Amino acid sequence: MISEINWEQTVFAFLAPKLAQILRACSVNLLNQTMELRIRTDRPLELITLSGSQFITVGGKETCSKGTAYHCCRGDLEQTLQLISRNSLYAFEEELKMGFLTITGGHRIGLAGQAILQNGQIKALKNISSLNFRLARAIKNAANLVLPYVIIPGTGQVYNTLIISPPRCGKTTLLRDLTRQLSNGIPELSFPGVQVGLVDERSEIAACRDGIPTADLGPRIDVLDGCPKAEGLLMLIRSMGPDVVVTDELGRQNDVNALHEALHAGVKVIASVHGQNVCDINSRPYICELISHKYFDRYIILNKRPVIGSVSEIISAKTNEVLYSQEIGVKVCG
Amino acid sequence: MWIKLIGCLLVIISSAWTGFSLAERYNKRPREIRQLIACIASLGSHIYYVSLPLAEALERASQIAEGPVRELFQQTALHIHTTGWLSAGQAFQKALGETSEKLALNKPEQEILLVLAAILGTVDQSEQQKQLELAMNELEKVHKEAIAARDQNVKMYRYLGVCVGLATAILLI
Repeated sequence: MISEINWEQTVFAFLAPKLAQILRACSVNLLNQTMELRIRTDRPLELITLSGSQFITVGGKETCSKGTAYHCCRGDLEQTLQLISRNSLYAFEEELKMGFLTITGGHRIGLAGQAILQNGQIKALKNISSLNFRLARAIKNAANLVLPYVIIPGTGQVYNTLIISPPRCGKTTLLRDLTRQLSNGIPELSFPGVQVGLVDERSEIAACRDGIPTADLGPRIDVLDGCPKAEGLLMLIRSMGPDVVVTDELGRQNDVNALHEALHAGVKVIASVHGQNVCDINSRPYICELISHKYFDRYIILNKRPVIGSVSEIISAKTNEVLYSQEIGVKVCG
Repeated sequence: MWIKLIGCLLVIISSAWTGFSLAERYNKRPREIRQLIACIASLGSHIYYVSLPLAEALERASQIAEGPVRELFQQTALHIHTTGWLSAGQAFQKALGETSEKLALNKPEQEILLVLAAILGTVDQSEQQKQLELAMNELEKVHKEAIAARDQNVKMYRYLGVCVGLATAILLI
């Protein structure tokens, strides 16, 4: 079940008044299909929907013509940026360096502009000229298909699981629902809820506002929001004693080292990584260690076909046995 | 005769009251500048160490002040909170316009505040800290001047109020 976006509170509240007014005039059907909202200085206001790109007129109508579309001005971007950052760019220094920040509802906002360098490193962005609202939609029960492969039957424990997926294939959605169900407990699988620690470096999974999760993640959840994964994993284990730790988008050497520590501490880990399949991960620096040292018990591979969030394969890491293959064509999330 | 006496008394009271009000303004000004310095220091702590969003940081910083200075910070926080697309500078200017009649602040300290507000929230933490420290140093200088002006003027305006009242009364009689 796809949960609807609360447009007023999680999108319009962060847009310049003029842009919010235009989008309020859009049809509900168009908004429901929207995946991205792109705002660029002196360029047409654009929505990316399931059926492709649409420009938007002042009256909130779709158009293919650039001439009739509403052209966003610098003031629109400045006001939107003020609202996103709550007038406090200093509080989002690290996010600005990475080029995105996350708002209530877990929507990720990408930024592009002029980079300010210091000693060859990006210090900040100035003259922001493009904003991309990537809208997050929680999908309840998105993890139903994979849960029987993640839970160890009759033990109340889970397998160490790595979700492998290309960008925008639903790995965050799957992680969010896995977290929720593990924290809630699953009576159908005789699985009592476990203590789940979540290191949410980009605030996408829990969509925290002032440190409190706004996404439904069940009752047994401890979130370390905006914290680097490597430090966060070990901090959570030391401080909160979780049964399972969940984190998104592993990629650096530090992440792999922290994961190694976590697994040796006897805590179960569910994580995700960008990639097409296991072979792809094997060819990448640092992350290949996750595969070669067989840190995980299960690999869940996602793809976009037939729809975003489809499970391509579930593999038992220790035996290389394919436990599930997409040939059955089951849609998991999206 | 009685009417004349009552009229003279009223002239003396109103003149003395004007003198005392002017003196009180000189008395309040250094106190308010001192409160501003404390609020800005507190704002710096909330920004630098806790990275609180500006509206919350201003609201918390206002707690250590009282009277119109507290109101100035609270109003600014409220404007940023309710009209998020306003810049901090615009919000501060609006709040200053609403509270300026209650404040005993003069143009120099108001200008220091507006210059600071224009940059609030638009730069990184270290730069923000520099600007806050600069504003505090400037306010310290203005504070010294305000104390000198108070010592010089408070007694003078009080006496002047009473004396002008008495002189006018004598002339009227």
